[in-house]
Amino acid sequence: MRVNPNLVPDILADLNQSQQTLNTALQEVSTGKSVTQPSDNPAAAAAMVQNTIETGNVDQYTQNVTSVLSTVQTADSALSNVVSSLTQAVSLGTEGANGTNNTSNLQALAEQVQGILTSVVNQANTSYGGTYLFGGTASTQPPYTADSSSSSGYTYNGNNDTNSVAVGDQTSVAINLPGSQLFSNAATNVLGTLSSLVSALQSGNSSTISSATTAVSSAIDYVNQQRVFYGNAETQLNSQESYLQQETVSLTSQASSLVDVNMTQAATELSQAETANSAALAAAAKVLPNSLINYLGIPS
Amino acid sequence: MGGLTTSLLIGVQGLEASQAALDATSNNISNSNTPGYTREVPQFSSDAETDIGGTISGGGVTLDGLQSVRDELLNLQIQQQTSQQSSADAQSSSLSQIQTLFSTTGEDLASTLTPLSTSLQQLSASPSSASAQQGVLAAGENLARSFNSTASGLVSAQSSADQQVTQTVSQINTLSQQIATLNTQIAETVPPGQDGGTLQDQRDQLVQQLSQLTSVSVTQSSTGEVITTGNGTPLVMGGQSFNLQTATGTNGMQQVLDANGSNITSTITGGQLGGAIQVRDTTIPGYLNSLNTLASQFATAFNTAQTQGTDSNGNAGQAFFTVPSGTTGAAAGISVALTSGSQIAISSDGSAGSNGNVANLSAALTNTLPSGQTPANAYANLVFAVGNDASNASAQSTAIGQSLLQLTNQQSSVSGVSLDEETTNLIRFQTAYEAAARIISTVQALSTVTLDMGSAQSY
Repeated sequence: MRVNPNLVPDILADLNQSQQTLNTALQEVSTGKSVTQPSDNPAAAAAMVQNTIETGNVDQYTQNVTSVLSTVQTADSALSNVVSSLTQAVSLGTEGANGTNNTSNLQALAEQVQGILTSVVNQANTSYGGTYLFGGTASTQPPYTADSSSSSGYTYNGNNDTNSVAVGDQTSVAINLPGSQLFSNAATNVLGTLSSLVSALQSGNSSTISSATTAVSSAIDYVNQQRVFYGNAETQLNSQESYLQQETVSLTSQASSLVDVNMTQAATELSQAETANSAALAAAAKVLPNSLINYLGIPS
Repeated sequence: MGGLTTSLLIGVQGLEASQAALDATSNNISNSNTPGYTREVPQFSSDAETDIGGTISGGGVTLDGLQSVRDELLNLQIQQQTSQQSSADAQSSSLSQIQTLFSTTGEDLASTLTPLSTSLQQLSASPSSASAQQGVLAAGENLARSFNSTASGLVSAQSSADQQVTQTVSQINTLSQQIATLNTQIAETVPPGQDGGTLQDQRDQLVQQLSQLTSVSVTQSSTGEVITTGNGTPLVMGGQSFNLQTATGTNGMQQVLDANGSNITSTITGGQLGGAIQVRDTTIPGYLNSLNTLASQFATAFNTAQTQGTDSNGNAGQAFFTVPSGTTGAAAGISVALTSGSQIAISSDGSAGSNGNVANLSAALTNTLPSGQTPANAYANLVFAVGNDASNASAQSTAIGQSLLQLTNQQSSVSGVSLDEETTNLIRFQTAYEAAARIISTVQALSTVTLDMGSAQSY
């Protein structure tokens, strides 16, 4: 068979191909990415869509955990203050009930307890970042305001709802207890017990003072029980935070395995491609000018 | 009876034959880089011997003509493969433009779906923050813009394919006319059944160019080549060419009509025209349909979630997105209906501090749509489809390119001009010419001797 005399198309195709390989290798090394457009690896590009969205979400969940954690901690410390105030009220009540106090002593005790009531209401009106923590979802206004018509002297402006914040794809954490449950519950009304103690101290009846004091100390138990909610939320948020950190790591490594190049391999491929390209060019330079004419003398 | 005159005549024939062979060689060398040129070899035959009075003498040499060395079967295969390759190339170049719309550029849908999702999570943590509300609104606007720009990118790729259809059809018509003209010239100058030489080279070259534009089928008839499109619509019959036409169809795209005005668009395959039609009428509408379905179903789901809540002004949630009714044009027409972040229906119980409805809004991003896929999955599938199509088209083009290179090599090994061979021939025919000239000078010397025999005087 006659040999193809025209090497040019073959050589051009080879040069094209080795140039293409070189370009791809160079691009991979310089960008560090093996997938820069969907056709490079359609499946990886599609998986990256999920990864991008999931990574964005996990970042945001992590931020949510941090901000919700501060909210929950603020609420918990407010309740801790409430408990110490109530403990103080119990000792004042116990002192008032021992029968050795005269009227003006009792009046002074009543005023101290009234002061404690005010400080508990202040704690109940705690806000964090402009959000009142104990007003249910009606969190843009102070939950408790003074109201002389109410038996405790304060009225609740909040509602009974709670907010939950998403901290994972399927995980959300309830972040607040409404004041109606914490401070003005029908069964154990914290504010009510304090104002009853004030009235009892003002009346001077030892047994009334004593029973009002007992009611305040059971209110302490009640508030401590409710604090478990915030403790649980903190625990849940802390464990969610470490889960999200792991998730971030695994998403990053997934993204990396999907679209990043293995640098060692890419660098090796680049140097192979360079060698192949120079070889192809050298071969072309050697072969192309070859012709019988070069070897024939000029006809005389 | 053979004599010196016979030798002289045979010598002259030899000179002429070598001269013609040298002409052919020099023509081959001159055309060694002419596209489509087929090398020509001189055809010699020895003349009949004459027997005069028992003495047999040779009749010399006759040049029968120049024969172009071609393989019609290879030409046909090359035409077919060329059609397939330029179809794959047309699709590949269009798809490589399209896939930039789906690469991570910051403007693509994956890059704008993410902020909507994260801004909603942020809103869930601080429902009464005006900046968090504004963040969701801005993310929604970016998402809508991203839908718009992706759709308009697809539509502009579609309309550039449409322009390509019109241009290609006019190129096909020009080539058909040129081929018909060559058919006429060949019919006039070349006896039937004989090779058309350079005219045929030119015609083959034009048919080759035509097969880049659309797949054609070539048959021979008594009046020359008959060329039809793949589905049998005639383009050239002998000396007559039939122009294809274009007309705007009901879908607003240019339809290809045959010479009688029948619509043959859907039957055209192969070549730039087939590739452009495939991209324009099948590939891009498929993507647009997926994108529109996603835009329409997502907007509906998100709007439904909005209506389940109450906004910060205490009003019932209104639609977040405005989206054209029906699926068509949903991606191009989607926009954000709300004008303020305070209109986002965050609250589930009507209080300003509630975040209860944010979970519903977020769920619209993660729940399955009526299409059976979550928005992210639906978009990921679209990215996969685009990437896969682009990668297939380019792989197909490379594969056909390889086999086309093989075929071209084979064709070149049959028809291509080898300078080494021609140089060798040059020496061969030069030697033959010199030898023939020597015969004449020898006969001349012999004639002198013969004439001298009857005379003392030397001539």
